[in-house]
Amino acid sequence: MAGQSDPQLSLFSSAEVEFLAEDEMTDIIPNVRMDALNMICGDFGPFRPQIPAKVPLWLAIALKKRGKCRIQPPNWMTVERLTEVLDAEREAPREFQPLPFHYVEISRLLFDYARDDIPDIYLVRSLIEDIRDVRFHKVETGLESLDSRTHAVKLKNLSAMEVNLVRPFIVRALQTFYKHDTGDEQVSDGNSQPTPVDRGARRVLRPR
Amino acid sequence: MADYYDINHILMEEEPVSVVFRVGANGAGLLDPGSENNNVEAGAKVELPFWLAQDLCTREAVSINNPTFYNHRIRKEMQADPACVNLRSRCPYFYELGCKLAPLVSDRSLGSFLLYTLRGRFKDILCKAHSIAFSATSKFLQLLTREESQLFDAAYTSMKAFKKWRLEGPRLEKASVLGRKRRREESLHAP
Repeated sequence: MAGQSDPQLSLFSSAEVEFLAEDEMTDIIPNVRMDALNMICGDFGPFRPQIPAKVPLWLAIALKKRGKCRIQPPNWMTVERLTEVLDAEREAPREFQPLPFHYVEISRLLFDYARDDIPDIYLVRSLIEDIRDVRFHKVETGLESLDSRTHAVKLKNLSAMEVNLVRPFIVRALQTFYKHDTGDEQVSDGNSQPTPVDRGARRVLRPR
Repeated sequence: MADYYDINHILMEEEPVSVVFRVGANGAGLLDPGSENNNVEAGAKVELPFWLAQDLCTREAVSINNPTFYNHRIRKEMQADPACVNLRSRCPYFYELGCKLAPLVSDRSLGSFLLYTLRGRFKDILCKAHSIAFSATSKFLQLLTREESQLFDAAYTSMKAFKKWRLEGPRLEKASVLGRKRRREESLHAP
């Protein structure tokens, strides 16, 4: 892929993941009257004061910076909802709660640019930090069960940033395991070529 | 030969392994510092770099001894606590060399031992890479082999980049020309 910062590791930088997150749709409440915007990615608007409109996050931020709208925080970004999620995360040590795929990036962008639009911002922010910490810890403990027989790792509901963070390590670790595993077979089979097919049952790390 | 130009692969092949000559070799006294004439006797124990030992072994001129860093003592240490064993001081190419040696030496359990070692050590690498303070990294890295420190680096740099992204301030930087005071037009055109 052309836009990758480090093609060898197939890794996005955090800023690139953030860029992808900016395509998520958000609700804004404009305070200006403006005709529809015709962009390559679609038409947005027309904008009328106090009438909610749906735009991508990058456009919402651009309008917000110019003081032309208010961003409505997404419905998962409330104290009640996040407290529920945090409790559930703590209670289920092997499962991830469904949150938006880009929740880390969206929350950061909104905290940076629309802090006056989010009610209880300090509480919301610390809740999201807590959730993220709990989930990162779960990823770490979950990956301990990685093994030479692991062909695929299944992590349901993992978010983009979390995946991106562990990707370089996982890719390398799996490669190394694979190398040693095939080396092993070469020894036991004499000189015959190792067969890549059917090397044990596919291991599912997390129950669905 | 994908890794023909890989510097680590080349360095790995330089690792000395101890071999026993099965046949005498005339004119090869250079290899054996203990020989009095220019020949190596059959049964002489010599240290050779791995690339030479491998080639001679396939011609059945020498037999390779299992290096000391795959012996019983290390295996016992590994069983006790894999994460604490200092492998770098034993052999920085512990895994790669082991993979290459496994078909050449008579030890069948070598492959599974390597796998066991890697499995025991890699979780600790991930957890440490995500939580360790910068000052402690060099101390931890001293325990790791080349391959492991690459793994550690991968996890460590991605975590560092993430932390930087999370804490960084406004992303739009002011161009350096914008801050400058505009020079007065008059002073330029003053007579």
